[in-house]
Amino acid sequence: MTDRRTTAFADVTDDDLRALFDEQDYVAADDIVTTVLLALRLGKPLLVEGAPGAGKTELAKVLAAGFDTDLVRLQCYEGLTAENALYEWNYTKQLLAVQAGDDDASVFAEPYLLERPLLRALRGDDGPRVLLIDEVDRADEEFEALLLEVLSDFQVTVPELGTVRAATPPVVVITSNRTRALSDALKRRCLYLHLSPPSVEKERAILARRVPELDGAVAAELCRMAGRLREEPLRKPPGAAETIDWARAVAELRRDDGTDPLSPAEVRNTLGCLLKEVEDIERVDDDLLAALVEEANAAGAEAE
Amino acid sequence: MSDVPDFAAARDHVREELVRFLRSLRRAGVPVPANRGTTAARALVEVGFDDEATARAALRACLVSDPDDVPTFDRQFPEFWRRLTAGLAPGGPAPRREGPKGALAPLGGDPAEGEEVALDTRDAPDAGDDESDDRAWETTGTLGAVVSRSGDEADREATEAAWYSPTGSRTSVEGAVDEGRALAAAVDEVAEGVATLRGRRWRPGGDDRAHVRRALRSSFATGGTVVSLPRRERPPSEVRALWLVDVSRSVLDTVDRSFLLGVLRRARAEWRDSRVVFFDEDAREVSAAFDEPTATAALDALDRAAVEWGGGTRIGGSLATLRESHPDAVDGRTVVFVVSDGLEMGRVEVLERELARLARRAAAVLWLNPLASSPSYEPTARGMATALPFVDGLFAFGTPDDLAEVGRQLRRNGAGGRIGYEYDPRRGGSDTPSPLA
Repeated sequence: MTDRRTTAFADVTDDDLRALFDEQDYVAADDIVTTVLLALRLGKPLLVEGAPGAGKTELAKVLAAGFDTDLVRLQCYEGLTAENALYEWNYTKQLLAVQAGDDDASVFAEPYLLERPLLRALRGDDGPRVLLIDEVDRADEEFEALLLEVLSDFQVTVPELGTVRAATPPVVVITSNRTRALSDALKRRCLYLHLSPPSVEKERAILARRVPELDGAVAAELCRMAGRLREEPLRKPPGAAETIDWARAVAELRRDDGTDPLSPAEVRNTLGCLLKEVEDIERVDDDLLAALVEEANAAGAEAE
Repeated sequence: MSDVPDFAAARDHVREELVRFLRSLRRAGVPVPANRGTTAARALVEVGFDDEATARAALRACLVSDPDDVPTFDRQFPEFWRRLTAGLAPGGPAPRREGPKGALAPLGGDPAEGEEVALDTRDAPDAGDDESDDRAWETTGTLGAVVSRSGDEADREATEAAWYSPTGSRTSVEGAVDEGRALAAAVDEVAEGVATLRGRRWRPGGDDRAHVRRALRSSFATGGTVVSLPRRERPPSEVRALWLVDVSRSVLDTVDRSFLLGVLRRARAEWRDSRVVFFDEDAREVSAAFDEPTATAALDALDRAAVEWGGGTRIGGSLATLRESHPDAVDGRTVVFVVSDGLEMGRVEVLERELARLARRAAAVLWLNPLASSPSYEPTARGMATALPFVDGLFAFGTPDDLAEVGRQLRRNGAGGRIGYEYDPRRGGSDTPSPLA
């Protein structure tokens, strides 16, 4: 069990965390700050769910950068095995050692161990690391069972070496896109945070941070359109990441004259940055496009 | 007496209210694990009791693990917070604020000290006596679906009017179940096309695991040295499916019931994970009825379950009910089969929203429409036209040949490929899309 005595971030305060997010240009609502703070102070893994592009992975990156520590990332995929995630033996090195006739030393020892992400995150000698288990819903359900020991006790067992326990638990961020339901056992071990698509105001703040070269009124127009499109029954509603891409594309295209209101043609030509399904792009017909631009222009005028 | 606060009493009060809150959430259907009470208590200690928004965020992180449960949590939290702070305030209970009344009423606990508005103290969920805001609950027999009904007669009449459609009366299940060889082959063919789960059998290739025996055999030719490492894999051959079957009158008048039940029965028996949900005005899972040993028993089981065949259709509303009552029914490996004529009597906005959600979550959504068996069929009905952008394929559904055609197209082009009634060669004599596409 983890308790506060083994948690490296027991003394982190709300203000510390807000300052960290601020330094890293991550716009975090109050509930995000509170949940992350609890995960740090209680030493609990944080399960972050939400639509793609909502900023789940970015959260772990921001924490690693903000605490100036290593980010250990385990990208999950179908067929991911314990060997890929925990450790492997360096067979080539073992074979050479055996052929060299060094009979006294065991080939199942530290020098022959290849650390994989989970083990590497636990064995950090220079303070806790941030362990990002990304898109855990892509991995097989059986793989979740492997994570349970790591998440509850921050330890793994290597049969030949014994149990490896983290001196100080890593900050664990697990992300999921909800393509399948996660096991109750996994959920039970984690605090939960759902990142909803950002509001127009929050998205404007994000763009002001991440794409400062874009004119504020134009950014307001983009955010209004992205927000409006999220109300449509799209196959893949745009996330904040898509809006940032879109804003960067628009900023790049209008380097010279960046303050004019967005035109329908401009929106149409760059819509591919925001919508990633052909059905969704086709859904934005001329009528909807005109309505979007008109509404967005009004928002831009207000922002000015 | 001294002015020192009674910390022990405050601690007990917080603990009691927290337990009450957890029970309330569980009764409302939020799956709160047993260990979350401890975590929630620790979280409350960490964030303190000064700020409601912070406490709300902290408890939400501890107690909720599904965004669909957030509205339930948010509805119940104000009442929890009011009771909590009322017990901690030295000057007596905090005034009641605007919000859901009696959110904790079904808990069965006594009202907090100084509580002015009496909460229902009986433990049974159907034992309310507040006429202005009384909600009672009932369970529908074998299927275990829980529906709410209003306390007074006028509301009950309104509720019943919503349950029974004017389009038709109830009828019982009749006829034999089709379990012919053609049907079995067609269902198997569909399975081959939509398999999303890996089966038990290995085959050479892929990169799942090293093929040790083959590696050893081939090493004999090289003096025991393994030159290349053959691999083996488990290819997808198993299906996880959810059958959403429209049992409204308009469908039952069109489709061959024995064929329909035969398909469902075989899919339930042969596929790795196949759930069956009937819907008309509401959605009800009836998978267990298809597990009976004989076909006749399956029909009897359906009769015993008093399935209400023949109502009107609210597809969108039914999908919403399904999402709320069975949030785990669909995941990225689930193929959803919707058997319906697409005649929506509810709001198409709801249908559109729910199908968009379903399409995002499922591996594929295949719509089997009995009306599409007609060569002149066009999906111009309001509901069907709304649903079309969100389904991977719309197919005819009336005979084993229709099902075989589904399987043929799926095997040939995959669930995400160019499939559907418009590519059915029986319509235009070719494999190319008709002008309707």
